[in-house]
Amino acid sequence: MSVARPAGYAGGAGERRLLMLTALAVAIGIGYFAFQELGPSAVYYLTPTEAKERQIAPGTTVRLGGQVEPGLTYDEATRDLRFIITDGVTRVFVLGRGAPPALLREGAGAVVEGVFLNDGTFRASQVIAKHDEVYAPPSPGVTPPHRTP
Amino acid sequence: MTPSWADLGSGALRAALPLALWGLAAAAYAAQRREGRALASARWTAVAALALVVTASLSMVAALLSHDFSVRYVALNNALETPGYFSAISLWAALEGSILLWTTVLAGAVTYVAWRGTRELPRLATTALAILFAMLAFFLALMVTPAADPFVRIDPAPLNGRGPNPLLQDHWLMGLHPPLLYLGYVLFSIPFAYALASLILGEAGDRWIVATRRSALVAWALLGVGIVAGAWWSYAVLGWGGYWAWDPVENAAVMPWLAATAYVHSVMVEEKRRMLRTWNLSLVIGAFALTILGTFLTRSGVVNSVHSFTQSAIGPLLLGYLAAILVFSVGLLLWRASRLADSGPVGAPLSREAIFLFQNVLFVAATLTVLLGTLYPLLVEAVSGDQVSIGSPYFDRVAVPLGLALLFLMGIGPQLPWHGASRATLERQLVTPALAAAGAAVLSVALGVRGAWAVLAYALAAFVVATVVQELVRGVRARRALHGEPPGAAFVNLFRRSGRRYGGYVVHVGIAVIAVAIAASQAQSVQAEATLAPGGSMEVAGRTIAFEGLRDVIEPQRRQVVADLRITDSSGEAPLTAALRYYPNATAAIGSPGIRSSAGDDVYVILAAYDGRSRAWATFQVRVLPLVSWLWVGGAIVGLGAVLAALPSARRRERPLAVTVPASSAAGAK
Repeated sequence: MSVARPAGYAGGAGERRLLMLTALAVAIGIGYFAFQELGPSAVYYLTPTEAKERQIAPGTTVRLGGQVEPGLTYDEATRDLRFIITDGVTRVFVLGRGAPPALLREGAGAVVEGVFLNDGTFRASQVIAKHDEVYAPPSPGVTPPHRTP
Repeated sequence: MTPSWADLGSGALRAALPLALWGLAAAAYAAQRREGRALASARWTAVAALALVVTASLSMVAALLSHDFSVRYVALNNALETPGYFSAISLWAALEGSILLWTTVLAGAVTYVAWRGTRELPRLATTALAILFAMLAFFLALMVTPAADPFVRIDPAPLNGRGPNPLLQDHWLMGLHPPLLYLGYVLFSIPFAYALASLILGEAGDRWIVATRRSALVAWALLGVGIVAGAWWSYAVLGWGGYWAWDPVENAAVMPWLAATAYVHSVMVEEKRRMLRTWNLSLVIGAFALTILGTFLTRSGVVNSVHSFTQSAIGPLLLGYLAAILVFSVGLLLWRASRLADSGPVGAPLSREAIFLFQNVLFVAATLTVLLGTLYPLLVEAVSGDQVSIGSPYFDRVAVPLGLALLFLMGIGPQLPWHGASRATLERQLVTPALAAAGAAVLSVALGVRGAWAVLAYALAAFVVATVVQELVRGVRARRALHGEPPGAAFVNLFRRSGRRYGGYVVHVGIAVIAVAIAASQAQSVQAEATLAPGGSMEVAGRTIAFEGLRDVIEPQRRQVVADLRITDSSGEAPLTAALRYYPNATAAIGSPGIRSSAGDDVYVILAAYDGRSRAWATFQVRVLPLVSWLWVGGAIVGLGAVLAALPSARRRERPLAVTVPASSAAGAK
């Protein structure tokens, strides 16, 4: 078999440079695109007090972390979920939609992702378990209660 | 005090550390002086170290199975109620055990190179062996210091342990997914060690690539199958209706896989065309560094917050190890840079090597974008103190176009010859696949698929599969014409004689299947939620889901609330259960979704909430995910293809060994 390169397809120095430059341009393009996407995708994780201090604009997606105050209500007919999340200083009224996840309990830690409405209410699109709660070891000598939500 | 399993394991680890150091010295001496006796010593040292580390691992398993709570690791990750299977696999339920498993696999790799590798390429493999012994010594040293000592005792021993993390004792897949990943991670140290050895010895050739081709492929495949198994586990256990969340832990596994995918392709360019030498060395160093970075990210706690990093001793040690590896490797690369010039000319823009180049650029870009998204929160927190998370939107928006571009290249690449393609070749190779792609696009739109990305994904997947079918048909025809074989024998012989090539095609089909499954399950899933009383039912996508009632199931290690359901579709009626499980060591319930799988779609039912007092109602979230089970099938096809590609070829491949062979003669092997 002849191994000579077909005429017209020899990769000269110019062609090599062109190929490398194209590859570099593609790489830079992807990098630029990724950086552009990074900012808007960053979701800040704040306590209610921090959110208040920073005056988060209504409509900006943030995560709020805190404790669920007693008084959580869920209306089966309207599917409205209402509860208050607090860091001990600032309380935020949270409005969700759909049944509360089984892990959402009064007094437990919760993270809600969503946006502030104009009246300061937080409209949660997602209610998330606080990760470290799952792994929290029981205190010595205490049998953890089998609690239902 | 009576001796226990833990004493045996602890002693074995402490005995293995000096052996690893001795092996390092013996292998380095053997490589330097070409000393046969030193090599023999290194070989037997490897065997002894492997035996000791295996003893330590088995001791830990025995301690877990016998619930020896005087061992801190057992007390923290096991309980009297833990079933035997989950006790045994708790070996990798936490940091110390995972490092023990990691070290065991590494000792296996050391022994493999000591006996197999050094026979084929004495000097190169012996140098690589010294590097591997050094890595082994590092991990053994970690385990004899308090940082990650798996056999630390507590006195007095508690009466019962805490039990494994509930998520890890909920599904049999936990026995499969982590070891696969660890095997993949650790086997990468073989190509990495050979690459460094090649640099140390100043070899300019591709001998290190040829010698480690199989281990690189096996490592890549194990990592890939491990990732799919992890996605499956996430789907079956985490109960949120998805299988991939771009969680840092997932990213940690996918980054080395992406870099390794670039590597297993670009080495072919070096083998055939003597190009990309520095690039290949950089890739293997990068892929290996990412396996360590992945371990560091997932094991140091740095992912949750940079502040948790310093709370564990292991974090700084792993970071130091990573830094040492990078400094050493990059230093070697710079030192030897002058010897690494490419000797082959680059081909035309429409040649196979050009496609490989672009494929590599895209894979490396994908790796870096995932890395950026994973590390960005850490950077922000380190700079401003703010806690930020980068969610799926970023990764999805970047990964989808990159994935589709790669799918396109995957179809076109194998169709182009090395050096460059003529117009006639392009037409001959690409007309049928292009028609298949167009057909798939039209068909999917006609079937009601909306969304440009999904249609594009189906079209490109059809394109890829068509190229493979075309190659197989042509290969079978050629064998029939040349050797007069019947079609069946010709088909089998294609894989036996050119397993690397056709096994690679099978991998491509598996990836195309995965692409279709992802596109369908993401773009065309249907969701519904309803609160039902016993006897009530809901309709989702032509199916009726009837709720029969709730019952409590008490087991030794957990308590369950199980919802009994009955699902009716066109194929008939079947029972289904969805449950919430309560483990004593977790404050939150673990969901156990009810999944009814079929080739067409999965019905995925989550018990979201229920009436805790009178069991009078329950809320269900239902997702119908089209084609999702093909994701696991695709993963299996990828694994099968990799096995076919890694099997020894029936025809002995004749390879030039010396670096002075002109580039053109290697191309004749195609």
